[in-house]
Amino acid sequence: MSYLDLTIAEIHRALLEKKVTPLELTKEALERAKANKENAFETICEKEALEFAATLTEPEEDNLLWGIPYVAKDNFSTKGIETTASSNILNGYVPLFDATVIKKLREKKAILIAKTTLDELAMGGSGTTGHKGITYNPYDPEHKHQIGGSSCGSAVCVAAGIVPFALGSDTGDSVRKPASYGGLVGMKPTWGRISRYGLFPFAPSLDHVAYFTRSAEDSAIVLQALAGRDEYDSTSSFKPVEDYSSKLGESLKGKRIAVIQEILDSISNKELLDAFRKSVEAMKAAGACVDYVHFPLDLLKSIYATYIVISSAEATSNNANLDGIKFGPFRGGKTYQEVMFNARTQGFSELIKRRFVIGSFALMSENQQELFIRAQRNRAKIVEATNNILKEYDAILAPASPKTAPVLGSSSSDKLSNEYLIADNFMAIGNFAGLPSVTVPLTFIDGLPIGVNFTSKAFDEAGLFSIIQAYEDITGLKGISTNVRKEAKL
Amino acid sequence: MNFEAIIGLEIHVEMKTKSKMFSASPNSFSRDPNTEVTVLDMAYPGAMPRPNKQAVINAIRVANALHMTIDQDVYFDRKNYFYADLPKGFQITQQFRPIGSHGYLDVLDKEGNTKRIKIERIHMEEDTCKQLHFADYSLLDYNRAGVPLIEIVSEPDIRSGTEAMHYVEAIRNIVVYSQTSDGKMEEGSLRCDVNISLRPYGSNKFGTKVEIKNINSLKNIEQALDYEIQRQSACILSGIPIQQETRRFDEASGKTVLMRVKTDAVDYKYFCEPNIAPIHLSDEFVKNAIDTCPELYDAKKERYLKAGLSDKDAEIILSNIDMAAYFEKAIEGAKSVKTVANFLIVEVNGYLNKQGCPITEFPLQAKDLTEISNMQEDGFTHKQCADIFNYCLENEGTSPADAKAALKIEKQISDDGAVLEFVTAVLDANPQSIEDFKAGKDRAIGFLIGQVMKMAKGKVNPAAVAKVMNIEIRKR
Repeated sequence: MSYLDLTIAEIHRALLEKKVTPLELTKEALERAKANKENAFETICEKEALEFAATLTEPEEDNLLWGIPYVAKDNFSTKGIETTASSNILNGYVPLFDATVIKKLREKKAILIAKTTLDELAMGGSGTTGHKGITYNPYDPEHKHQIGGSSCGSAVCVAAGIVPFALGSDTGDSVRKPASYGGLVGMKPTWGRISRYGLFPFAPSLDHVAYFTRSAEDSAIVLQALAGRDEYDSTSSFKPVEDYSSKLGESLKGKRIAVIQEILDSISNKELLDAFRKSVEAMKAAGACVDYVHFPLDLLKSIYATYIVISSAEATSNNANLDGIKFGPFRGGKTYQEVMFNARTQGFSELIKRRFVIGSFALMSENQQELFIRAQRNRAKIVEATNNILKEYDAILAPASPKTAPVLGSSSSDKLSNEYLIADNFMAIGNFAGLPSVTVPLTFIDGLPIGVNFTSKAFDEAGLFSIIQAYEDITGLKGISTNVRKEAKL
Repeated sequence: MNFEAIIGLEIHVEMKTKSKMFSASPNSFSRDPNTEVTVLDMAYPGAMPRPNKQAVINAIRVANALHMTIDQDVYFDRKNYFYADLPKGFQITQQFRPIGSHGYLDVLDKEGNTKRIKIERIHMEEDTCKQLHFADYSLLDYNRAGVPLIEIVSEPDIRSGTEAMHYVEAIRNIVVYSQTSDGKMEEGSLRCDVNISLRPYGSNKFGTKVEIKNINSLKNIEQALDYEIQRQSACILSGIPIQQETRRFDEASGKTVLMRVKTDAVDYKYFCEPNIAPIHLSDEFVKNAIDTCPELYDAKKERYLKAGLSDKDAEIILSNIDMAAYFEKAIEGAKSVKTVANFLIVEVNGYLNKQGCPITEFPLQAKDLTEISNMQEDGFTHKQCADIFNYCLENEGTSPADAKAALKIEKQISDDGAVLEFVTAVLDANPQSIEDFKAGKDRAIGFLIGQVMKMAKGKVNPAAVAKVMNIEIRKR
């Protein structure tokens, strides 16, 4: 155990009391990173991190992120640090500018120690498709299980106690799903709350900057640093940033929580359902009003198809800039068509090409009405049904995944089953509607963690943090990491 | 002519805003290649577009001048295609909701009658980068990538090359005088693509459309279309089908030349740009954009005509916005707008042509020209004023008043009483000339006026002398 296994708030106190220095923290984080066996890193920024940490000598009392090491998914633009989005097409690409969130964290004097692996270009949910291969679940030293994706490397870093928080991105559930498989708090705030400037776009209408922590309180602290209008992102909100810790410590008394019955119905794992129901009873006992509500089944079953059509369509356009002409490996060619063809043929994996074909097909004028426009309309229906529930409830609650982390190489579940279509994919609702949505640990099953997901009204992040903090008290899983669990024998 | 020409125009105008359409990169055209570039212009991952406010204001002004309906919710869309000059792999444009729609322009047709051309849409978009092709490689200059454009698309209402030329001329005047663009066709800041098809008179069907791209002068529009109408007529009459193709105008031969036959149209897979939040324009914003629009060509011309200028003179002055701006300054405090115009058109233009310099480099200030013109109004002859003008040019920094003093120019006598003395003396001394005049020799009066001028050493006003002489000679 080290300070790195503590929460941000706890590390901050230790820094203020000078029990530890940013340089010591950074050195240890780097050591842990280098010793890590889960294939979580694209680039370890040892030199830059140590240099920056050495400059941090006077603790800043009100700045909770002062001297705190963190990592960022390798799809955030970092000036002077190679950024590949785990795709061969961007090998060697060194950005000229920092993403707004990277800049903000630097201003807060948080220390970036590494860029982490992801599913190639953030398209995928398994953590297995990046150009560096599979990223493993740190709760399984035998490396038989996924950590999930696409923000796989960032999830590993927080779960394994390398850093107390990590940046990721969430287009379908790319932070909230690995948070479930990694026993983490995975937060995606309202669309527009955090600037996306410098986040490599996958599907901008669904893309969110999101992040991992190990507690509700830390989640509030990190959002406090990241939130706000950014003139470089015209879609960022002008709404003033509120105090995200203001509601921490509130009890569940009077909170109205909706559990969507159809999601539970689609789940087969008894242990999960039992643990979930127990936590619901505990919430009720703590004063929450929890109702089982209905959501049109057809709409729930259509989430995945809707997501694939919209996200692939946007993705094919957003990644059209990767043509081998301006940056990334140049693969030669006699004409511009050949240059592009060679760069893209060799630069993208089959999985990515498949998505581009789907996206392009959906946008073709003869298909657009039937696929892309129809998916947009369906998205609007799903959003409306969700907002209708949130008119009467503070949050919607469901297990964040139907199972613990999948076994690597196992044939994936039946993709037409309700369990896959609904329980494994419903979290995209949060992206469709741009609502704050967070995964928080529920329990461990056979040594692997699994979480639940809460989704609240737009811009009600503070309310959401208070609910998940109370939920932490119920599960007792605040601050869990592989090291903490090993020592506490939880 | 057996056929009716159906012509529609697409005009692209490069806006001269300070920065680009969606990035903070400067937009000044005149620098070394690839120096006016930001991460967005080169489509670096994660860079995001931010619409240029001045570009929106310009588009509103032009839309208003074209009598268009303005959409107060600004949306952008993506036009997706792969091309070497397209950094992002898509162009941000306004496919679904153009900022202006349903407008018109009244222009003169071939017979000189006013004709209304309907305009379908005006929308904002961004330019691509510039390509330079060499034998075995190509170079790309991203300075142009992201330069703000407006595209103006007419309905197929145009029927002749002359109409098309007048239409483009009117649009050029609007974009130039609203200070949206410098509107230089030859430099590509106003680019014109033409669609033309023929059909028999009386037919409702459209023939096969041919596109002519990048015509680089007003005159060439007329010529290209006149040629194309002839070419297509000849084809149809001899049974050769018109192909759907893209042609260009070859200036040397005065002909249109085939560039490529169009195969299936490219599917641009348009969809709404998700990285730009829709912008609502308040009534006040739109009104302000329109109210603060610089005075347009037609309004200026009307004002000049009212001030007494001929149609031709007004057009000469307005043919160059810098000349018009100089003129505007020079007529401030001028006693006669017409006299200022004459000086500008004859003396100033003469100097500029000789020196080969633009009016922006003309050494005399506008207020000097005002002063010189006013001297003429105060009774100095045009010749005297022109001498002052030339003296000022030859002795830079000399004011017209100092030039007048240096040249010892004095006002001529035009008072009838004073003139009469000279006239009487000359008539008395030249009885033979009076006889000649009475015998019908009109030339005699010219001789007599010359004698007066000689006697008065040029200090009398010739016009006054002529007037008095004509009266007095008849009294003899």
